[in-house]
Amino acid sequence: MKHLVYFTATDHCVYSWAGGRLELQARFPGDDTGVTGFREYLAGRRGALFYAMADLAGEDFHEELIPYLRGGDREQVVQRRLAQRYRDTRLAAALTLGTVSGERRNERLLLTSFTNTQQLAPWLDALTEAGAKLAGVYSVPLLAPALAARLGVTGGRAFVVSANSAGLRQCFVEEGRLRFARLERTVDMVPDAFAAFVRTETGRLAQYLATLRVLPRDGPPVRAIVIAPPGQRAAFERALVSDARLSFVTLDAAEAARKVGVKSAPAHTGAEQLYLHLAVKRAPREQFARRADRRSYYLWQMQRGLVAAGGLGIAACALVAGANWLDVGGMRGDTRRLRVETEVTTQEYQRITSAFPVTQTTTDNLRATVTEFGNIARRTAAPRDALVYVSKVLNDFPQIELDALQWRLERPDERAAAKPPGGAAPAVAAGGVVQVLELSGRVGAMRRSDYRAITAEVQRFASALRADPAYRVVRSQLPFDVTSEGTLSGDIGTAAETGEAPRFTIVLARNVQ
Amino acid sequence: MNFTAQELKALALPLLACLVLLGAGAALIAWTQQEQRAAGGELAAARDQRAQARERLMRIAEEEKEVKEKLEVYLRLRTLGILGDERRLEWADAMTRIRTQRELPDLRYRVERQRLISSVAGKPANVDFYASAMKVELALLHEGDLLNFLADLRESGNAYYSVKHCSLSRTGAAPATAGLAPRLRAECEIDLITIVDRAAKA
Repeated sequence: MKHLVYFTATDHCVYSWAGGRLELQARFPGDDTGVTGFREYLAGRRGALFYAMADLAGEDFHEELIPYLRGGDREQVVQRRLAQRYRDTRLAAALTLGTVSGERRNERLLLTSFTNTQQLAPWLDALTEAGAKLAGVYSVPLLAPALAARLGVTGGRAFVVSANSAGLRQCFVEEGRLRFARLERTVDMVPDAFAAFVRTETGRLAQYLATLRVLPRDGPPVRAIVIAPPGQRAAFERALVSDARLSFVTLDAAEAARKVGVKSAPAHTGAEQLYLHLAVKRAPREQFARRADRRSYYLWQMQRGLVAAGGLGIAACALVAGANWLDVGGMRGDTRRLRVETEVTTQEYQRITSAFPVTQTTTDNLRATVTEFGNIARRTAAPRDALVYVSKVLNDFPQIELDALQWRLERPDERAAAKPPGGAAPAVAAGGVVQVLELSGRVGAMRRSDYRAITAEVQRFASALRADPAYRVVRSQLPFDVTSEGTLSGDIGTAAETGEAPRFTIVLARNVQ
Repeated sequence: MNFTAQELKALALPLLACLVLLGAGAALIAWTQQEQRAAGGELAAARDQRAQARERLMRIAEEEKEVKEKLEVYLRLRTLGILGDERRLEWADAMTRIRTQRELPDLRYRVERQRLISSVAGKPANVDFYASAMKVELALLHEGDLLNFLADLRESGNAYYSVKHCSLSRTGAAPATAGLAPRLRAECEIDLITIVDRAAKA
């Protein structure tokens, strides 16, 4: 709940505001007894949020021109001008009216303050002493641009005229900015008389502003938005006849309240209810209170800001987390769907495989058994083919007599380990197996001294063994070593040849398919 | 704006609340990201499994053909006694029978202890391949006896006979008179391979 203190020349009212509903909480006389009563009222409201709104006659408006500045420099110049203009700057404000381009750029300011700030000071001190949070001190004119905007004034010049409890309030707004305002005290009058009074006072104000050259003399008529008290609209419309200077638009108080957003207000409350509501909902940046008077409010705002930042942070995190969670949900849904599809596919597979031939083992073991057995079988060979091959070749070499024959399977790694130095290795693919056939024999029916014939016969035999390209002669040892690396020996001139026929060795190899 | 100690105290709780809220938000994001990663992993695994299942189903015709082909071999291995435990008595019987039928002058053999040569992963159990090395010494009248012996051995079954080595040599000079004395001597080393399928039904 928010509290509003409405200051008038006669008495001060405290309203509570919640959701557009205004309720009168207390009324205090404007003298010292009122301050005392206000202090008692505040006693049980430490930390409560207060808005102060003054609706007083003695409000000064003065236009100034300052160099176009920003930040601290501007603030210093503004404070200096306020100090030059007003004796007490505790409740003084400077409203910008925009910039003026000339030889150098300047800013137009509307300096405003109360003629007698002392009538408000004890009340503000009471708020500070009670630990209340003062959001700001506003005057009705400061809120007039906001009210004009809510009532449909989007630009240009306009008077906003309302019948407040304090009197007839007239505010002049130009391009959405306050230029001037005055409060004329009123007495109880019949509607027609009051309407005529409004007509007269508005005309006088227009005349005054024209004299000050705030209003052009020959300009178009200025709109005057008049908020008639409840039930007096008809009388106002009769009295407020537009002319060349003023164009009147009359609104009923209830209609204005609806447009502004006031949902309810105490009976017999004047048009100040509109300004009070706007002080809470559309408070302008400019107000009268010093920073020191609003310290509790700043602190409260910082507290709220911190909590709000935390709230915003967790909300943002929750959004990201929510998006992540949606993603997780999507993925889990996809996973469930895929698992169901997998299950269905597996069941279909099992249904089909159940119609397969009956095996005495599982399909996996069947495959493993036969595949591995095939691998083993491919790495084995029988000696039969090699022996038959040699036997056929031997048929053409009757002089060759074999003494020994050795057949074996070799793996490349074993062969590499056993390879004689300088010996040729049979070409075989890595991981393959070769069958090796080692033949040892002699050449008979020839004279031992006929080494040329013996050597030629062995070489011819070796060549014949190469007839099948599957077989390779990987090593051969001739009866006589005719290589440059070997030792050649002979026994020439012996009458009779003695000893055994010279021996040879041939090693064949063939890859196992 | 300079703060008094009291004002700082008043700001402490909102600041703490702000930090707690931001921390909770960060933790929430971290948790959902972790869940994302886990769900992503499960999704990838499920995709793989579905792809495998589909591929297996698509290849079922080929698989049926493969099963039929492999089953033929499997049953043949079982019929030959290669699949199953070793049958050493049957091996001894086979050696005796071959020697008698081929009228081999001398036949000596020695079978070493069984060893595991490979174990293939299957489902639900492995398939183990064993080998028992056998050394054979033969006295031969001629070379053909060795080939016949090996052929007979292979035909006898009860194992897969993988010949590793065979050597053939003369025993000495040929006798002057024709007789039945062995002229050749052979030595062979043969692996007797058997297969034990742990998932096979009796």
